[in-house]
This record gives sequence, structure tokens and C-alpha cells, in this order.
Amino acid sequence: MSGPGSTLVLDSVSRWFGNVVAVNDVSLTIGPGVTGLLGPNGAGKTTLMALMSGFLAPSAGTVALDGEPVWRHTEAYRRIGLVPERELSFGYLTGRQFVRANADLHRLPDAAGATERILAEVDMVEPAARRLDTYSKGMRQRVKIAAALVHDPAVLLLDEPFNGVDPRQRMHLMELLRRLGDEGRTVLFSSHILEEVERLARHIEVVVSGRHAASGDFGAIRRLMTDRPVQYAVASSDDRALATLLIAQPSVRAVRLRPGGGLDVEVDDLGTFAVGLPQWTRAQGITLHDLSPSDESLESVFAYLVAR
Amino acid sequence: MNATIVKLAAQALLGRRRFWLLLAFPVLLVALTATVAALTDGDAAWPLLPGLGYPVVLPLVAVLAASSVLGPEVDDGSIVYLLSKPVNRHAIAVSKWVVAWAATMLAGVLPLWVSALVAGGGDRATAAGIAAAVAGTAYSALFLAISAVTRHAVIVSLLFVLIWEGLLGNLLSGVAWLSVAQWGLRIGHELSPELPDPTNLPWALLASVVVTAGGAWFAGDRLRSFSLRGED
Amino acid sequence: MADQRAGVIHDLGYRHYDGPRDGVATIARTLFVTGLRHAFGLGRSGRSKILPFLLLGIAVVPAAVVVGVVTFLPVSELPLTYAGYTNQIQLVVSLFAAAQAPVLFSRDLRHRSIVLYLARPLPAHVLALTRWFSLTTALLVFMLLPALVLYVGGLLAGLDVGGQTVDLLKAVALLVLVAAMVAGITGFISSVSLRRGFAVVGSIVALVVVPGVVTAVQAIASEEGADEVGVAAGLASPWSLNSGLADAWGAGVTVFTPPTGAWVAAYVVVALLVAALGLAAIVARFLRVGSQ
Repeated sequence: MSGPGSTLVLDSVSRWFGNVVAVNDVSLTIGPGVTGLLGPNGAGKTTLMALMSGFLAPSAGTVALDGEPVWRHTEAYRRIGLVPERELSFGYLTGRQFVRANADLHRLPDAAGATERILAEVDMVEPAARRLDTYSKGMRQRVKIAAALVHDPAVLLLDEPFNGVDPRQRMHLMELLRRLGDEGRTVLFSSHILEEVERLARHIEVVVSGRHAASGDFGAIRRLMTDRPVQYAVASSDDRALATLLIAQPSVRAVRLRPGGGLDVEVDDLGTFAVGLPQWTRAQGITLHDLSPSDESLESVFAYLVAR
Repeated sequence: MNATIVKLAAQALLGRRRFWLLLAFPVLLVALTATVAALTDGDAAWPLLPGLGYPVVLPLVAVLAASSVLGPEVDDGSIVYLLSKPVNRHAIAVSKWVVAWAATMLAGVLPLWVSALVAGGGDRATAAGIAAAVAGTAYSALFLAISAVTRHAVIVSLLFVLIWEGLLGNLLSGVAWLSVAQWGLRIGHELSPELPDPTNLPWALLASVVVTAGGAWFAGDRLRSFSLRGED
Repeated sequence: MADQRAGVIHDLGYRHYDGPRDGVATIARTLFVTGLRHAFGLGRSGRSKILPFLLLGIAVVPAAVVVGVVTFLPVSELPLTYAGYTNQIQLVVSLFAAAQAPVLFSRDLRHRSIVLYLARPLPAHVLALTRWFSLTTALLVFMLLPALVLYVGGLLAGLDVGGQTVDLLKAVALLVLVAAMVAGITGFISSVSLRRGFAVVGSIVALVVVPGVVTAVQAIASEEGADEVGVAAGLASPWSLNSGLADAWGAGVTVFTPPTGAWVAAYVVVALLVAALGLAAIVARFLRVGSQ
């Protein structure tokens, strides 16, 4: 890889489409190593990826690679390799032709050599003579990565790279990304599958409903999430009996009767609470009418991270 | 200009089924004129050119060519593979236009000229060839610009050709001032008085140049602001 | 949960529905209405309404102008007949069909949402028929609207009711035939080439280029005195079939080489065949894609 690692910085970035806010005031810094961009479908991951790769103008804020904005800055692509989620529509090219075309577009001095090197790197030398439309999903994914890496970029952005790839190929891809990260490249990939991110990235950024919900070490976030008490509003057929019942449970920290009926419950151990609540109430003949988290935004992150 | 983009665009044009449709037009036109000219005489075949070849076949070829080199890639988003490169956007647009232009010349203008030769040749054949070359050049740039703006480029381009230039152009003579086909005819008129004289020459020349250069430039400008959106 | 080997679906209160259900006929009717609305962009995004209504405007405005002329000038009949008017706007009708057929025929096949339709108790051939019927009706509405503007305007301006009604009915019969043909052709092209642009150009070739060639051949044939050639060429496109029949029927259209005698029957048979074959091809296509 040429030169030291690059850093992608988003500063108070928002993006809206008409009335829909897709990305809401996100600030984050992505440095060398593998970073996972995690969030449920529709959380704004693709929009963020488009913003970071210069294919979308931020409505507010700035997206900069090593201090230079990426929107309408063609030269930035010398340092960025992009693997879009979109399928290749170049089915009439062979894998080698496609990667070679990418090398030529970068005007690499030794385009042929670079093509062969990168095909070997992603283990695609043997099928490279076949047309793209004969490839399996995993092979297409690897050719896309080869095309994005052929100019030896410092930053590699991958949008949902594991979608539809079979487990063995997925292992293979993860191995490749891990190696690229270890080489000091800035590798960012998005995924809505917790397990994928957990296995590959130490550092994660979580987006939920367009907001930047959490960032940092995966284990630390998860611990923070499970350790903090969670608020619930509960309505039942007999609130006082339910309160008595709940306060006896070790997983519940506090119970309060609401003025207009119902209970506010503060829960320490969500897992036990979630599994236990139906059983406890059924045993006592209490009917639950409503159970809803009261601190919505954090709750959704929490629910997303722990609910499997 | 970028040789790699030219190569890819040419492959896109040749590697798809629509190439055969593109090829069908010149074959149809030349075969029809030749048949009529053989059965009767050249003068009887000539009306096929101003009636069918020039106002319909030529623009249709240009629509197909221009939308083939850009349309599908914009439509399915795979143009990002070209745009995520340190290549000037205007160079991309011009390269795409060159391919569309070459296809229009080969599949639209050349057969038109050949048909004109079959239908008698002479000055009017040369004039028709020049008119077609001018109009084909402007058409390909105009339709490329439309392809860069909307996913419905084909239908918008056809509206321009068939409704504006064709239907309205036949009813309102003023449309000639804003009609690519009429500019071409006016330039051809210099070589043969058999072609109509709908506007004045400086305007026809200027407008053709402006549409050609403006269309290619505008397509490049749209590519500069290309945004990747989710599926919609 | 306890360690259980056997699986179980917990009843979380899903409610069963055991009441009456609507049959295929209702599904087909609903799909027909939806398809008809979609052909005009109704029930779709605002941008999808622009094109159909722009074309509809282009088709209707001249009729309104004609009505204005008839109202203010002392004339006793319309300057052109209803069939003649449709013949004049055939380019607009062709564009409408070419642009809107992919809406009804390409999208379900391209995005494979056809599978969702067929997950209902709806056979693929009924779906294909429904789509074709939607497009045919849309085309009929598209062509009938300006004719009705002319008719109502003409009657209000004091034209002869009996004569106008006969003219209109002749035109309607021809319109039904041409709508069925055009829907069959564009529907088939759109269900084969799923790329929108490709389908549009294909339809334009069938509805504009081929009729253009036919007209040219007819003009030349008429000039050279080889009328039979021109009449036979008229069999090659839906619009020339339509205008040839209109001429033979005295509906107010003039073609270079009108069919006479047995040719008229041939025109009718071929027109019916074109419509039927188009429909059959669409059904075959849906059956094939639906079974994949």
C-alpha cells in the first residue's frame, strides 16, 4: 500500500430527500483497520456509504478524506476503492477484462501486472477468463473487490459485501478483508447482520434510523448496552398485583405506579425479564395490555444489538 | 476522451441484443429503397428518404445508440464503476458520445446516403448525406444529454422527434427553428435546392453546433453530480 | 425455554379467517381496474402521471379546437370524421401504447413480482388476460375521449344527431379492433424485452416505422398502378389495417390503395388474427415465466 493510512471524517453530516431524513447529524471518524457499519435495513447505511464515496452531496455538514471533501472531487478516487452493493451489469466482459478496465481507468503504469496481482490476491486467477455473467455471487463479489483494489487504495468501502454469499465464500471474504485491514488500510464495510460484524470488526459504528447510535469497540458497546437499566411502560389488568409481582424479581430494579394507570418498570436484566414476564403474569392470572419501551431511541439500538 | 471508456461503451453496444435492432434499421431502409428503385425507378424511391429514412429511421438509430451507451448504466447504477475513478466526467461523457455518434453514422447516416445513391444519386444524394450527418451528430449529443437526466430517456427523446419535430413540425412552420432535422436539411439545401429551406443558414449552423457541444457538455455535468440512490 | 427436541409454533393470538372468500373473478376484476389506472399513472407517483396525461392532452386538444371552430363558423358537419381523427392522432396513440405497455407487462416479469400474483388462486393465463384487457381498455379510453369531445361538441353545435351517431358507432367498432391489436403487439413486445427502453423502441418500430413503410409502399404502388401490391402491404401493420378498413367502410378515411371485394374480408380476418395472436403470445409468455 502506498503511503500511510488514510482517515475519513464525517462532520455533522445530514442528508435528506424531500421530507425524509436519511442521515441525521452524523459525526464519525474512520481510520486504518477494519470498521463495521452496523444497522438494520433502512437505517441509512447505503446513504452513508454514498456520502463517503462521493456519490451523494451532504445536505449539511462535510465529508472529507484526509482533509479534502470527497463530493465532486474526482482525484479522491486515487485513494478510494469502492465496492457498491449494485450488481455488475458488465456481464459481457470476462473477470480479467473487467478488472483490467478498472486498472486502465486509473492509468496504472503496469495495468496488466496489477490486474494479475490483484486477481491472485482474491484467488480469482482461474475463473478470470470466464464471462462475469457465469459467476456465482461470491465470485462476483471477489471480482468487485479486486476491481476496487487494483489501484492499491488506502481506503476500501464495501456496501453489504456479504449479502447473498454462501458461508464458505463468506469466510474467505472475511479473511481477505481482515488481511487488508492488518496491512494498514482503512476498510469500512456495512452490514445488517450482527454476527458478521462481530466476527470481522473490532471497531463498529452503529446507525439506527439515520442517527449515529454508538461507536467504538464492539464488546464495550455491547456491555454498555446490557448493563444500563431499561425503561418500560406496562399496562395490565391489575397494576398493583403486577407491581408486587415484579418488585420480587431480581431482574427488576424499580417499579412505579403511573398516575393515569399502568406501571413504569426499570429493568436491569432484559433477557430474564423478557422471558419471565409472560410466565409470571400468566401464573398470577394477570393480563398484559401493553408493554412498550419508554426511552425509544436508545431502546431501538439496544433491541437491535441484543435481540437476535 | 478516454480510450478505456470508448472501448467499454463499444462493447456495451455490440454485446447486447439491441445491437441487432440497431442493425435492422439500415438493412430495412436500404433494402426497401433498392427494391422500389429496382421495380420502378429512382425517383419513385426517393420519397422514402424525406418521408421515412430521415425523419424516423435516423433519429430512432440515434436514440438507440445514445441510450445504449449510457442509459442502462445510469438505470441500474453500474455507472459508479466508471465514476469511482479519477477520470474527468466530461471526458467520460465525450467518450460515450463518440461511440454513440459513430454508431449513428454507421447505422443511420451511411445507409441513408447509400439509399439516396440508390434512388438516383447526384447532388441531392450528397446533400441528403450531409444533412443526415449534421442531424445525426446533433441528435446523438442531444439524446445523450437526455439519457443522463432521466430514466425515461428513450420515450422523452421519441416525444421530441415524433411529436415536436414530426407532428407539430408539420403543422407549425416555426417549429423548424427548434428542430434538429430542419437544421440538417437547411445545411443540405446549400448543396441541392431539392432539399427544403426552412430556416436561415447561420442559424442552422450555429444551432447544430450549440446543441452538439451543449449536449455533450451537459451530459458530463450531470455525471459530475451523479448520485447513488437506493432502489426506488 | 426448556430444552425441547420437537418444534412447536406458539399460538400468539393469530386469528383464523373462516368466512367467505372472493374468487378468481374478483381478483381479476381488481387487477383489471388497477392495471387500467396504472396505464394512466393513477395510483402511481406524480411523475408517472406526466407522460400519459401529456399524451392524452395532445390527443384531445385538437378535438376541442375543432369543436370551437364548428361552434363559431357556419358549418353543417365536422371537418373530419371520428375514424379520421383517430387516424390523425395514431402517432400519439402509438407513443402512449409504447410508453405504457412496459408499465403493465415488463415490471412484474422483470422484478419477478409475478410470483406474488400467482401465489393467489389466480392462474397465469388469467393474469395475462387481465393485463391485456387493461391495456386494451386504456387504449380505447385514450382514443374514445377525443372522439366523444368531438361528438358532444358537434351535437351541442347543432349537427345532425343521426348522422353523427352512425359515424361514431362505426369509429368505435374500428377503435375496439385497433385497440386490441395494438395492446396485443405492444404487450407482447414488452413482456419479451424487459428493459424499458428496448421495449419502447421495439413497439415504436411495430407501430410507427412499419406503418410508415406500408404507407410509402402503398403510395408508390398507387402511383405505379399496382394497387394489389399496396392492398396486400396494408396487411402488414395494425394502423394500415385500421385505415384500410375505415376507407372500405366509408368511415371518412382515405388511403392510397383501399381494399375492395374479398380483400375487405381478408383485412378483417388478419386484424382479428393479429389481436388474437398477440394475446396468445402474451399468455404463453406469462405461463412460461410464471412457471419458472
